[in-house]
Amino acid sequence: MRIFVFISIFYFGQQTYSQTCCSGGVPLSNNLGLPNEGKGSFSIGLNYDYNNLNTLNAGTEKLNDDSRLRITNSVLLSLGYAFTDRISVETLFTWVNQKRTISQFGSENLTDTKGIGDAVLLLKYAIPDILGTSSVVNLGLGTKAPLGKSDLTSSEGFQLIADLQPGSGAWDALGWLSVSKGLSFRPSATVSGSLTYRLTGENTSYLNNTSTYEFGNVVQANVGYTDQFLLFNTIFNPGLILKYRKASYDKINGSRLPNTGGEWVFVRPELSVLLTPNIAISSRLEVPVYSYVDGTQLTPTLRFTAGISFTLKKKELIILN
Amino acid sequence: MKKNTVVLLVYAFLLFSCSSSSTQETQIGSGTPGPNANPDPNETENTSTEWTIPVNEVLDGGPGRDGIPALENPTMVTAVNASLLSDTDLVLGYKKGNDIRAYQHNVLDWHEIVNDNIDDVSLAITYCPLTGTGMGWNRFVDGIETTFGVSGLLYQTNLIPFDRATKSNWSQILGESVNGSLAGKDIDLITLVETDWKTWKAMFPSTTVIGLDTGFSRTYGTYPYSDYITNNSLFFFPTPKDSRLPAKDRVHAIIIGGFAKAYQFSDFETSNVIKDVFRDRNYLLVGNANFMASFELDAAQDMLDFEYIFDGTSDAVLQDNQGTQYNIFGEAISGSGQLKPSESFMGYWFSIPAFYTTEVFGE
Repeated sequence: MRIFVFISIFYFGQQTYSQTCCSGGVPLSNNLGLPNEGKGSFSIGLNYDYNNLNTLNAGTEKLNDDSRLRITNSVLLSLGYAFTDRISVETLFTWVNQKRTISQFGSENLTDTKGIGDAVLLLKYAIPDILGTSSVVNLGLGTKAPLGKSDLTSSEGFQLIADLQPGSGAWDALGWLSVSKGLSFRPSATVSGSLTYRLTGENTSYLNNTSTYEFGNVVQANVGYTDQFLLFNTIFNPGLILKYRKASYDKINGSRLPNTGGEWVFVRPELSVLLTPNIAISSRLEVPVYSYVDGTQLTPTLRFTAGISFTLKKKELIILN
Repeated sequence: MKKNTVVLLVYAFLLFSCSSSSTQETQIGSGTPGPNANPDPNETENTSTEWTIPVNEVLDGGPGRDGIPALENPTMVTAVNASLLSDTDLVLGYKKGNDIRAYQHNVLDWHEIVNDNIDDVSLAITYCPLTGTGMGWNRFVDGIETTFGVSGLLYQTNLIPFDRATKSNWSQILGESVNGSLAGKDIDLITLVETDWKTWKAMFPSTTVIGLDTGFSRTYGTYPYSDYITNNSLFFFPTPKDSRLPAKDRVHAIIIGGFAKAYQFSDFETSNVIKDVFRDRNYLLVGNANFMASFELDAAQDMLDFEYIFDGTSDAVLQDNQGTQYNIFGEAISGSGQLKPSESFMGYWFSIPAFYTTEVFGE
């Protein structure tokens, strides 16, 4: 059961939490959804995320232009603790490196920013077996704290725009729901779904305190199927996820900012391996199958994430101490 | 435990302190230049950190250097073959002898700069969609021909072009280099006329216009900035506002040194011809609901009377009391003489007082 819960939440808690108008931001929620392994358990997850945006779209039309490249490299550290079998808390800290490259007229211009990004605090409540045996429903409420800098200037000294900053400069509210259920006719398989809503706050000190900036609210839904098999005496968990993401337009000084917001559908094959009962490694590849952007924007081309997670049970903690 | 916590906090603080940014430029590719090859292959890097404008008011506009690609000698097509242009679409017009060219906003919205060669003239059309300012620049600077690109930077929400020969940055509205080895240099303006396509075609039926086969994939004909043109409260970047006129009103600004005088289309409702004095210089202005143009008069010309004669069927716009007719560039089309175009340009009202001490005609 614990393995089932772990797999379900680990897979379907993967919410992209982009903070940029062009989906190039830090995937904070990529590491949200650490499992509740029972009262007193402590979980740690460490992920690396590579997000490549090299596709220029106008609406749904792909333009023949690959001169713009945005790459976001993120390192995400998540820490989770279960107060009871149902109530747990999770925090997520990030480090982010954003690269903007323009290859045009025989030159390549690179703008590079890096630093600590924003952090998430999420309170979770798990309801096992509410949808029958081998099922679990998770509810979560949280906030994103603006730990990252949002006023970085270029090396030349001029102010960089919001989507190149490591942080958003605003507090956001986050709602999270995930549902998973094991299939009775195939005990190794799980179907799951999840829904995340991000209500964004406003950065009131944007551009040297002259403007306000608010990233668009984001709703995201995942549905997927995972299974498991044993190989070399190790449990492998392949999965296939369909992800829908809708981002509203950003606002500057309260007005709609054109060329922001859109809708996407991604397919995400994943593979997780339980190295030991307490240690798992995972990798996932995210490919867009439908992209609609408002106006003309860079849109995701490819995303790759790899990570490792540890779970320390209460008993083991006592031993460690 | 306490010690570990302190170490963790110190480490986190150091990481936070290490937030940083950098920018670098490298040359790529070799061999035969492609269609989008650098027109100035011998360019140098600008390492200067000195700016003649407040650097903290220079903002990264988002796309990055050359993220908005300038056009180089684009293919021109005849008016008959112009695509996507409606009668009300705005164009920037240029005339040299019988070579008459229109650079439509529909294309300029996506490229902002067109480097063009017309006979012996090296012209850069510079257009900022956020300030609505279109200006013709002579691409010979200190006797050396260069081309201009879009730096991706903005000052007072206005385009900052860079020249590829020295990578110096320029302010479009100030018309001078503000950073780099050419800092302080002024650009020589080349007269352009901004009007709608219908009026331009009526004046110059033989005009050519930028073809849409630019080598870049863009949705020409779709304005990229939503209702920015008409929404007086929508600004993407901070800039001073002057409440004397609606922010996005298109005005004609005459520039002398650090001073400007702005004229509105409504100024020409009662009379299509205006004689005015600004900073002790005499000017003649002609306009209607679709265009405004101004000329600096010498003493002899100031003695003449001018009549508005534009009827939408030819390029004749003005006639003086000696019978000489002039087109909108001030060229005599019957008789002899030349009216000297003023140093002026069209733009959204807010952008003029953001750069110049500005008076408004009729204030």
